Amino acid sequence: MIAGDDRLRWDGDRIVVSLPAEIDLTNADEVRDALRVAARHGAAVLVIDMSATTFCDSAGVQVIIDAYNVIDTQNQTAATRTHVRLVATAVRRIFTLVGIDQLMPVYPSVEAALADLPA
Amino acid sequence: MQSHAVREVARKKLLTSLGSESVQVGGVAVAVPDSRAALEDRLRGIQSLTDAALSRLDDQELLTELLERTRAILQADTAAVLLLDYASGHLIATAAAGLEEEVRQGVRIPVGRGFAGRIAAEHRPVILTQVDHTTVLNPILLAKGIRALMGVPLIASGKVIGVLHVGSLTPRQFTAEELELLELGAQRAAPALAALMAHEDRIAAAALQRSLLPSALPAGFPAEMAVRYVPGAGKVGGDWYDVFSVPSGHLWAVIGDVTGSGVAAAVIMGRMRSALRAYALEAGDPAEVLDRLDRKMQHFEPGALATVLCAVFDPDLDRVRICSAGHLPPVFASPGRPAEVAKIPSGLLIGASRTARRQAVTLEITPGSVFCFYTDGLIERRGQLIDDGIARLRDLVTADPPEVACAAVMAALVGGEAATDDIAVLVIRCQPAAVQP
Repeated sequence: MIAGDDRLRWDGDRIVVSLPAEIDLTNADEVRDALRVAARHGAAVLVIDMSATTFCDSAGVQVIIDAYNVIDTQNQTAATRTHVRLVATAVRRIFTLVGIDQLMPVYPSVEAALADLPA
Repeated sequence: MQSHAVREVARKKLLTSLGSESVQVGGVAVAVPDSRAALEDRLRGIQSLTDAALSRLDDQELLTELLERTRAILQADTAAVLLLDYASGHLIATAAAGLEEEVRQGVRIPVGRGFAGRIAAEHRPVILTQVDHTTVLNPILLAKGIRALMGVPLIASGKVIGVLHVGSLTPRQFTAEELELLELGAQRAAPALAALMAHEDRIAAAALQRSLLPSALPAGFPAEMAVRYVPGAGKVGGDWYDVFSVPSGHLWAVIGDVTGSGVAAAVIMGRMRSALRAYALEAGDPAEVLDRLDRKMQHFEPGALATVLCAVFDPDLDRVRICSAGHLPPVFASPGRPAEVAKIPSGLLIGASRTARRQAVTLEITPGSVFCFYTDGLIERRGQLIDDGIARLRDLVTADPPEVACAAVMAALVGGEAATDDIAVLVIRCQPAAVQP
């Protein structure tokens, strides 16, 4: 899967990655790859869109943190920073429970995530 | 006796399945013309490999048997199995026939390097007719005077679990037919090996878990506890709970969940448990202890993630200070009142960010209150919101003796279902001093 497929979409200098309905051990590697590909583009904003995600276990949480760390490392050397934003509805609570909202802002919709100016 | 009969039936089935006119190798029907009888002989040899696997020999015995037969069938001088250790990314010589030094010296080959490393990295067979330091990493193969090598990956459920290879002391060009036989052997052996590895992993993880989970409260506290640990299907390992006292007289209750499963998760769990105990001796505040634990984990176990919750009870159990690193909030029930979900801030889980700082909150305890600490396996169900799961648990926790409260929770939330994820539950009841015997 990945680059060039319908899971990645650009909106100006911002990139949106759409994640699947369920994320667990069986597809976590795929999701991790998708996020890493998106991270490499060096967009001003990377929106991780989990609005269609209804199930996400610890393997899913792990790939989101992996993406955050990849970008955090990139930001330390790149000329321009990438801001990571998370869109979650059904699984939002999981991310607030594990405190990921302290690493990246969480929005209820892609529109809201794109509308917000980079911090 | 019965197991012998079962084995016999399995053996016959295999012989039947292999005794057809042509043989499927890698999806291609291989014709068996003149040398058919010879090939059938060889196939019977390979069937016996599977037979040995089915007989559930001890891991090492199975491997030895497999290699002896592989070596004999291919008329090779040596045969060896290297199994992949996921934690280190090394192939480890696990069994050998004619190359026993490899195993005795614990040869380790990084995936991607050397002959075996290439096979594992590229998921495909490699045949070498030139064996020297440019093609082979393992000095024993060179010292032994191996002149030709043929190896194939051992693949189970789409993943490489190791490498099977044979070697010749005289120059030799392994043929396509011989490669097919070796591949067939590997195909038959891999699932059995994977099952054995998983079985060993489960036993080791379970033993580790048992050795680390306390079954009783430290003496001297006016409290009782009940615990449950249920391994998930093939997922033993990451959950734990702990209770211990520190010299200040405080009682620590800890519950946590390391991402992942098997021995790898159980080992990380064990290290976290020890580190947390050590920091609890040095720092009294659970937030400080969790922040230190986080720094320790990020340095020594990079990539590991875990949720952990600490509850520090005052010596006379009238207050508790709670801090969560991404863990689910405890539920508590005071006598005569409906149970509540503790309102605690969600601190960042362990392993995510170097700058994380957490906060603890203090709750007053009504004597006789019951605290229920748990991991997500207890309340998480696919297709259900996590808060609904927590609410269901809240409605079940009562200020009863811990065994009663714990049994009721398990009966209602788990029942007869086989758990898919680990479940750890720790229930503590703070008794009023007056009811102490």
